[in-house]
Amino acid sequence: MKPIMLQGHERSITQIKFNREGDLLFSASKDPKPNVWYSINGERLGSYDGHSGTVWCIDVKWDSSLFISGSADQTMRIWDVETGTSNTTLEMKTSVRGVSFSYSGTMIAYTTDKMMGHNSELNIIDVREPNNVDSTPIMKTQVTPTYTKALSVLWGPLDEYVVTGHEDGSIIKWDMRTGKEVGQEHSKQIKDMQLSHDGMMLITASKDTTARLWDISNLEAMKMYKTDRPVNSAAISPLVDTYPHVVMGGGQEAMDVTTTSSRIGKFDARFFHLVFEEEFARVKGHFGPINSICFHPNGRGYASGGEDGYVRVHVFDDAYYQFKFDF
Amino acid sequence: MRVQGGHTPPPLSQAAAANMAKKNKAKLLDNEDDGGQEEEEPDFSDPEDFVDDITDEELLGDLLRQKPKETDGVESVIIVDGVPSVGAERLDKLKNVVRKIFKEYGTLINEFYPTNEEGKTKGYIFLEFKDRAAAEEAVRQRNNYKLDKQHTFLCNLFTDFEKYDNIPEEFVAPVPEPYKDLGNMSYYLLDENCFDQFSIIFDGGTTTAIYLNAVPEAIEIAKRERWTETYVRWSPRGTYLATFHGKGIALWGGEEFRQVQKFSHSGVQFIDFSPCEKYIVSFSPHVDQRSEEPQSIIIWDTRSGQKKRAFNAERPPIWPVFKWSSDDRYFARIWEECVSVYETPSFGLLDKKSIKVAGIKDFSWSPTDNILAYWIAEDKDVPAKVSLLSIPSREEVRTKNLFNVADCKMHWQKCGDYLCVKVARYAKAKREKTEVKYSGIYYNFEIFHMREKGIPVDSLEIKGEHTGLCMGTGKQQVRNHQRGSLWSWLGLRSMNGALEFIDTKDFQVMMSTEHFMATDIEWDPTGRYVASCVSWWGHKVDNAYWLWSFQGKILKRQTVDKFCQLLWRPRPPSLLSTQDIKDIKKNMKKYAANFEVQDKMRYSKASREIIEKRQKQMQTFTEYRKKIIEQFERDKEQRLRLRNGQDTDTLTSNENDYEEETVEFLVKKETVLVED
Repeated sequence: MKPIMLQGHERSITQIKFNREGDLLFSASKDPKPNVWYSINGERLGSYDGHSGTVWCIDVKWDSSLFISGSADQTMRIWDVETGTSNTTLEMKTSVRGVSFSYSGTMIAYTTDKMMGHNSELNIIDVREPNNVDSTPIMKTQVTPTYTKALSVLWGPLDEYVVTGHEDGSIIKWDMRTGKEVGQEHSKQIKDMQLSHDGMMLITASKDTTARLWDISNLEAMKMYKTDRPVNSAAISPLVDTYPHVVMGGGQEAMDVTTTSSRIGKFDARFFHLVFEEEFARVKGHFGPINSICFHPNGRGYASGGEDGYVRVHVFDDAYYQFKFDF
Repeated sequence: MRVQGGHTPPPLSQAAAANMAKKNKAKLLDNEDDGGQEEEEPDFSDPEDFVDDITDEELLGDLLRQKPKETDGVESVIIVDGVPSVGAERLDKLKNVVRKIFKEYGTLINEFYPTNEEGKTKGYIFLEFKDRAAAEEAVRQRNNYKLDKQHTFLCNLFTDFEKYDNIPEEFVAPVPEPYKDLGNMSYYLLDENCFDQFSIIFDGGTTTAIYLNAVPEAIEIAKRERWTETYVRWSPRGTYLATFHGKGIALWGGEEFRQVQKFSHSGVQFIDFSPCEKYIVSFSPHVDQRSEEPQSIIIWDTRSGQKKRAFNAERPPIWPVFKWSSDDRYFARIWEECVSVYETPSFGLLDKKSIKVAGIKDFSWSPTDNILAYWIAEDKDVPAKVSLLSIPSREEVRTKNLFNVADCKMHWQKCGDYLCVKVARYAKAKREKTEVKYSGIYYNFEIFHMREKGIPVDSLEIKGEHTGLCMGTGKQQVRNHQRGSLWSWLGLRSMNGALEFIDTKDFQVMMSTEHFMATDIEWDPTGRYVASCVSWWGHKVDNAYWLWSFQGKILKRQTVDKFCQLLWRPRPPSLLSTQDIKDIKKNMKKYAANFEVQDKMRYSKASREIIEKRQKQMQTFTEYRKKIIEQFERDKEQRLRLRNGQDTDTLTSNENDYEEETVEFLVKKETVLVED
């Protein structure tokens, strides 16, 4: 499969996301302008102007009308996808590290960093009126000092709770009714969390060189995928019942890059069988560690964004569908 | 010191103590004033009927041991018998001769020549050296020294007489040490599948494990934490595993890897085994300043654990300092412009003299015969020389002068049939202060045909890189390993682990591959497998070992946490005769069929196990998914509510939502020239 290379960022990619239908791909990077592209041919639709620092995290509403981004300039912005105008800007005390639209799109959960005397926080705001957002959160929790700082956040399948991933490798489920539940399996920082297509399973990617599959309702760690490099991002294939695959991207920390082979495109995306926990394929191509990876919602391809500032969009060829493990 | 019985010396009562203190104080004051007036001293003597029930031995044991014995003062005296009987006129001459003979062992501080009534020396003399070590050495070296045809010196330590005197009348047979059954030390050779063993150290050096190189997966035989403190070494025939510890070395062997022997050598850093495993040499830079005995290098008897001989070494040494002949009979080192050859089991210098070779640079033993090959660097106008010496006769069987030599490396052929000397010759030499710089290096080979009469020498000039021997040009470090007719090259470190497998029969490169950042390669003892390793000691990530077939096909990539070292267990030389080997090769087809059947069975067993495991996993997962999907269905209503009645469960669930639009976009641009 020959991938489409999207060159639109000046610095390394921090996160990429498909919209629900898969026709748009949003990318955020360390330069302050997130971009949006047509995933079918790689044509860029436009970019969102307004941030003044690294954009750490992005999310798009289920109906592709609104786009949110969290940045190191200590703001979270809500944009109109089509026009690119920023309706709302919410000022925080520290960088915004994780953002997520609820299933219904009426609420946004976001987490902030722990810096300079300010604690890491988890906030939930109501966005039923996107142009008139009440900046007072309906829920606000100090994550630190009780726990380590929260870097990523996801909603449960029916908006009943929120799950956050933390710097010490733990994930916490914040349930309004039943209280907090903590799941600890990873030994180092959680770099990324993604939901399965039905929202019932969750995969976490960690710096401890493993990725784990969880059941979201009881925070039970079901599977573990082992590699030899820190995992920066992991995703579950939407075709989980016919092609139970998981893709992971990672690589050495930037400072250690000189000691690994930096020859052409050695950083690879690794495919594991979801059930057997065995690696079955690697796709090379990036010139630096992969920072974000996600499947196309139709399960027929995937996209990856790397430290090299490129986003590569792949479509699977027949070999992918024909590959079967013996059992 | 334990006091027996219930009787204790009366303790000084408090009052008496106080009294004493007062008295002393008064005494001091008095002394200050008058300086001399005597006060009554307190009485420390025991009461009259006090019986001391503590023996001297208990109280002063250590002092008693130092009690001057009869032999004191005479421990550095030796008695020499067999000295010529001379009269007074020739006594001085005799004394001079004796002095000359003995002075090399130490300073003589006393000599006594007893004479009989006629004034002639009795034939035995007493010599006293400055210290005992000198006396011992003199006895060792000069006992049975032939002065001339009629006189042979018989030397003994004076103290030996006491020892011999004290031999009990009854012969008491020494109690034999209980026989430690170590089991079959060579069990690993009996593995029916002929799998080789290898040791690996991982977890940053804390865990050592031994594996059997089985097909398809390596089987772990033994694993221990903290088995060694630094690294491990196998003995050359594979019988023992040596581990390093702060206090010394431990040897392990047998099927269960029990401790066979241990050697106490504090701070040991390097060890070396003799080729037949009879002896083990250890080096430690720690020197105990109190002892005058040499301690840096110690040679031990492997099986009994006895210390055989010790030497001093220059620090830090180029290890191994001692090189052994193939049958363990001799070992030699270069020391102060000489080759010192020692023989076993006496551990004395061969012929009591080192072989003086001025300018010697390096030497090596033939792997089969007791022949020493060495080379001397060139010195101004005298050309360099390669020489072959037969031991013990010290006969020079062959020499060859070489011109314009910068460096030489000697390589023996495995059967000792050929010696190949790789000579680095220079085109220009510049003398800079004390160093000489060579430029324009080119190589040629001198091949000594050992088995032919007169040992003819062939000179070969080789151009280009594909030679099969080590080339160290510039910054690359190339390591090669040979196994019969197959070679593998490994470019270490800066060369990024490029590996080449070369068939030396025709110098064809069979396979060119790489193991990024590999630090070591090791051939297994049979030559079937190569392991390339990335050691944690050299490189903090990607620690693993990769197994290749001898043709260069990758067989396995095994990542191990903080992997440090892999060493194959060596095998002793084959017991098969050449005729046997020829027969086996002829019947290879028959054997091969057998092996293939065995291999197939092994693989299918492995896959059956894997398949069963996978089926179980899939079953569990499908059950789980069923539950989830049921839950998902149940929640559908809620989802519809959350998204205002829109069914977004699948991409095609809401067909009305879709607008069809035809979009044209540029796919390819092609320019065709119609007419020129």
